[in-house]
Amino acid sequence: MKKKVLVVDDEEGIRLFYKEELKEEGMDVHAAASGEEALEKLEADKYDLVILDIKLPGIDGIEVLRQIKEKWKTLPVILCTAYHHYKQDFGTWASDAYIVKSSDMKELKDVVKTILNRRN
Amino acid sequence: MGYETLEKVIELTDSSEALKKRLDSVADVLSHAFSFDQCAIYLYDEDKKIFNLCSLAGDEGGVVVTTYQEREGLPHHALAMDKPVIANMSDADRVVWRGIEDRGMTGFATAAVYPVKDDTSNYGVLYLKNRHRKVLSKRRRKLLDIIALQLSMTIKTQYCISNLTAANAQMRDMQARLIHAEKLVALGEMAATLAHEIKNPLLSIGGFAKRLSRQFNEDAPARLYVDMIAKESIRVEKLLDTILSFSVNKGFELNEEDINNVVNDALAFFEGEFRRVKIKVDRELKPDITPVRVDREQLKLAFSNFFANSMQAMGNGGILTLRTYSDDRWVFVEVTDTGGGIEPDIIRNIFNPFFTTKEDGTGLGLSIAHAIVTNHNGIIEVVNDLGKGVSFIIKLPAALKG
Ligand SMILES: Nc1ncnc2c1ncn2[C@@H]1O[C@H](COP(=O)(O)OP(=O)(O)OP(=O)(O)O)[C@@H](O)[C@H]1O
Ligand SMILES: [Mg+2]
Ligand SMILES: [Mg+2]
Repeated sequence: MKKKVLVVDDEEGIRLFYKEELKEEGMDVHAAASGEEALEKLEADKYDLVILDIKLPGIDGIEVLRQIKEKWKTLPVILCTAYHHYKQDFGTWASDAYIVKSSDMKELKDVVKTILNRRN
Repeated sequence: MGYETLEKVIELTDSSEALKKRLDSVADVLSHAFSFDQCAIYLYDEDKKIFNLCSLAGDEGGVVVTTYQEREGLPHHALAMDKPVIANMSDADRVVWRGIEDRGMTGFATAAVYPVKDDTSNYGVLYLKNRHRKVLSKRRRKLLDIIALQLSMTIKTQYCISNLTAANAQMRDMQARLIHAEKLVALGEMAATLAHEIKNPLLSIGGFAKRLSRQFNEDAPARLYVDMIAKESIRVEKLLDTILSFSVNKGFELNEEDINNVVNDALAFFEGEFRRVKIKVDRELKPDITPVRVDREQLKLAFSNFFANSMQAMGNGGILTLRTYSDDRWVFVEVTDTGGGIEPDIIRNIFNPFFTTKEDGTGLGLSIAHAIVTNHNGIIEVVNDLGKGVSFIIKLPAALKG
């Protein structure tokens, strides 16, 4: 069974880039362009991992993270943003990892694999 | 002789000339009006606790004392007694009058020393001397009393004005620094927003260029073009990361820290590189130094910028000296290199954002360090030794006890 991953980002380019890259790693990748859309998708389907941008139109990534952790306690979330300074807070926000966005996908892929393997 | 002298003195002391010039004129007028061989005005220096000769008129051939110690001679006596001293020596060779020795009396027979003071401060003395014995009428003594009072008011006013001017300059200086700091904060916020907006599309550009590159043969020209896109976008990405990693509006996390640890932490990052380019590090870190309340990560970032600059200035090796010490107000960190220093005509620009003399510099290093230190109520001083190297002295407020 392929792992089902949801990428949440308001940038079309990034959604497509992440999708393509993670597909190559053998995952079933879906995307949402806003927090609202992400929550809808999570209601409708069962996912193994969420990759979540913080700066989003409408409800922001932090709020989405809070709602996810409330409803789907064990669903892992990777916060992924261009900012560095949230890093020290991510523990308190209870995300499973924090990645600073980069065109070099290595770090993100490594973290994704570690988290998915942990779930096995 | 009388009221004209007084009028003249008042006119002179009220003029807009510098204090010294006014007192010079007064001394001149008095030596003539009272026909004394010498008329001197001494000002008390509260810091050094001495009396300095400010103005002298009349017979300059005679003995002149340029400074009296606080507890020396007739000036001290007059101020301590809080009244004028009229000293008459039995002969001009004596310098001791009623047990008080005064070097200035050599060759003089009569001295009239008037305290110049008010209820709160001693300002100095008015000191008149004559070679031959001289009798001062009651009327003349009264007149000198009034003149001494006028002098004390003049000096007091002048001191008040000087203090005000200094306070004013200090305030202007602080204001300028505040404005600079505010500008930096605003600039930082703007830069962060802008960097974020650029970074997202840039990631797609770089990311897809990399993906595209894999679809071409190693030797296809298109592969070269696409690799160039990828490479260049990584360069911009790094620049944006620098800006984004420094976000001024981020809340500070202040903790009591030993500055030596922070310096050592920041240094650890550079050690390998320093070895490679043959930079020797001299550490003179004061043990058990007064703690500071700082955001450790931010300060590490600030120090890293100084270290990076020094390293770049010492391309052919050198010595980096790190010194820490403290007094009761400040904790000091000195970063000194032997990288040749900074050209004087650019030195005022080095803290400006985007000012750089390096081909691949962003010019943000020092402006970031400056903003961080300022946010900690600290101060950076630069001691530039052109041809040798430069010292950056970072002053951070000592943490309050308890
Ligand atoms: N230790 C030093 N010795 C000589 N020149 C210095 C030193 N530190 C700073 N400068 C001068 O000040 C300029 C500004 O320094 P700053 O750190 O702000 O930017 P930069 O070093 O040029 O760029 P970046 O920090 O991005 O590498 C430098 O380009 C250099 O000319
Ligand atoms: Mg976004
Ligand atoms: Mg620099």
